[in-house]
Amino acid sequence: MRLRCGDRSFDVEVRDARDGVEVRVDGRAFRFALDPVGPGVFVVREGARARTLHLVRDGTVVHLSWGGVAYTLAEEREGARAARRLDSGALEAPMPGRVAAVRVVLGQRVAKGEELLVVEAMKMENALRAPRDGVVRAVHVSTGDAVAPGRPLVEIE
Amino acid sequence: MPLFRKVLVANRGEIAVRVIRTCRVLGIPTVAVYSEADRAARHVREADEAVAIGPAEARESYLSIDRLLAAARAAGADAVHPGYGFLSQSGDFADAVKGAGLVFVGPPGDVHRRMGDKRAARRLMATAGVPVVPGYDGDEQSDAKLVAEARRIGWPLMLKPSRGGGGKGMRVVRSEQGFLEALAASRREARGAFGDDAMVLERFVERPRHVEVQVMADTQGRTVHLGERECSVQRRHQKVVEETPSPALSPAQRETLCAAGVAAARAAGYVNAGTVEFLLSPDGTFSFLEMNTRLQVEHPVTEAVSGLDLVRLQLEVAAGRPLPLAQPDVALRGHALECRLYAEDPHHDDLPSPGRVLHLSEPEGPGIRVDSGLDAGSEVSVHYDPLLSKIVTWGQDRPEAIERMRDALRRTVVLGVVTNIARLRAIVEHPAFAAGELHTGFIEEHLSELSPSPCPPLEAIAAAAAALRRRGDARAGARRSAPDPWASLGAWRLGEER
Repeated sequence: MRLRCGDRSFDVEVRDARDGVEVRVDGRAFRFALDPVGPGVFVVREGARARTLHLVRDGTVVHLSWGGVAYTLAEEREGARAARRLDSGALEAPMPGRVAAVRVVLGQRVAKGEELLVVEAMKMENALRAPRDGVVRAVHVSTGDAVAPGRPLVEIE
Repeated sequence: MPLFRKVLVANRGEIAVRVIRTCRVLGIPTVAVYSEADRAARHVREADEAVAIGPAEARESYLSIDRLLAAARAAGADAVHPGYGFLSQSGDFADAVKGAGLVFVGPPGDVHRRMGDKRAARRLMATAGVPVVPGYDGDEQSDAKLVAEARRIGWPLMLKPSRGGGGKGMRVVRSEQGFLEALAASRREARGAFGDDAMVLERFVERPRHVEVQVMADTQGRTVHLGERECSVQRRHQKVVEETPSPALSPAQRETLCAAGVAAARAAGYVNAGTVEFLLSPDGTFSFLEMNTRLQVEHPVTEAVSGLDLVRLQLEVAAGRPLPLAQPDVALRGHALECRLYAEDPHHDDLPSPGRVLHLSEPEGPGIRVDSGLDAGSEVSVHYDPLLSKIVTWGQDRPEAIERMRDALRRTVVLGVVTNIARLRAIVEHPAFAAGELHTGFIEEHLSELSPSPCPPLEAIAAAAAALRRRGDARAGARRSAPDPWASLGAWRLGEER
């Protein structure tokens, strides 16, 4: 997944590890255990040290507080969405929003990761990228369309 | 016998909650009022009953004398507490409450009017022997007269609308060249905002401190002070951090200043809780600025060092009781600080930042008090003051109060709306603050360039990502038939590597 802070973008990978998780952020590895304490509150244990993470999600916006400082991150979900659609090559709207831009046309050859269209939601623009190499077989929306989650947007073959 | 049958609290937010708490302790039932925007607000839920008074716009709700009085009558209240802001300093409101046969918890209408006119207040103070800033407060307001007076006073000077507040129409004029132009602009703004363009001229004091005296007067002629507060750390004439005692005063200066505060209150014929504001020059001389004829936002610091409940004293005085203490009974102990938590963005010109509070965690612990009107889920409306809550710490001395404040701010979490917490921390962690070197330009001098809001450290991003996955797991588990795609993909795949 990608988490964005202003114009910086962080590549994050979470996997289970013994006694917790291993998280790679831009290649740097962190190992800890994380457990929910209550709504929006988590305990992060690293060896003998336990710290508090406050986190709430509002659409794709993530509000968190760590070490007494509040931060805002944006989730970029297209990677996950693209991966899910590996089989069909169909791209669906990940959230309610409005199509801000369509970058491809019917029959266009696209490479994996290429930006296909941009959906605006929560006042943020989310790029949706090609899940794999292929040819655009269908474009179901045009700029300005309002889309509901799950609505097919583009199909790649 | 409780002091009153029922008190209507003509306010909202943290101050309404705070007044309700004291009433509850005194066994007095309370009536909250609320606008459409505040239907579910904390003050509404903490009161014994609540009455809707109109739409979100304050002019048609919290500032509507008719609606407030109708609510008081309907609920059977026999007293009205105005809080601060809104109608708290309105002579007309005080009179209307009295006219309706109810008790106004504050001074009578004529006192509000007398002190609300800067020229009249200055003249009154001068005759009472309270020092005022050298200036002009006469009735003749022609350009020629004001130019002549300005020359006499000297440059730089301050132009202030005689009726008004909140910094509107106030201007510093550095030399005669720009004077007439500035005068015209100030008059225009004053006419627009206050319907009156009479001006006061005052010598401009460079790097002043703002120090104020809390007074309390009963209807039997007793007036006491409860010490001073220093409120020099300000942003655009808006107080941000307050404390008591002032780190700038010697015991002798404190005594002189507080005596001047009592003299000012007596001259004004003052009754109930009030605050006399002074400017303190770097050379140690002080002069009368204005009198606030109400409970002050920063009153909790005075409560912390005096052990008194100012709202209780207000209610007792309003009920006609004598003050329960004379000046020698007032014992002030330790040091207290207050930080005002505002929903505004210090990284973007302090613009108010309305929105919904998604998550809230308020500090607690020894010597910490939080006066808050917030809940997780509260909507911070564009219609009202952006003050969210006040964090107050007490210590045996100033360093302990500061340490407790640093700790309290670190543990204050508000997510969903942008707040000034980062600036508050920067202030109380600044060496100049620790040294007590305060003046009204403190923020501009030390912190105008607050470092831009940083990105979280990588470890925080790692923790956030793990937490996001946890939430995704929970959702996928709850709806097994339709797993949340976000939670089950790529490196997030459930069951992967298990």
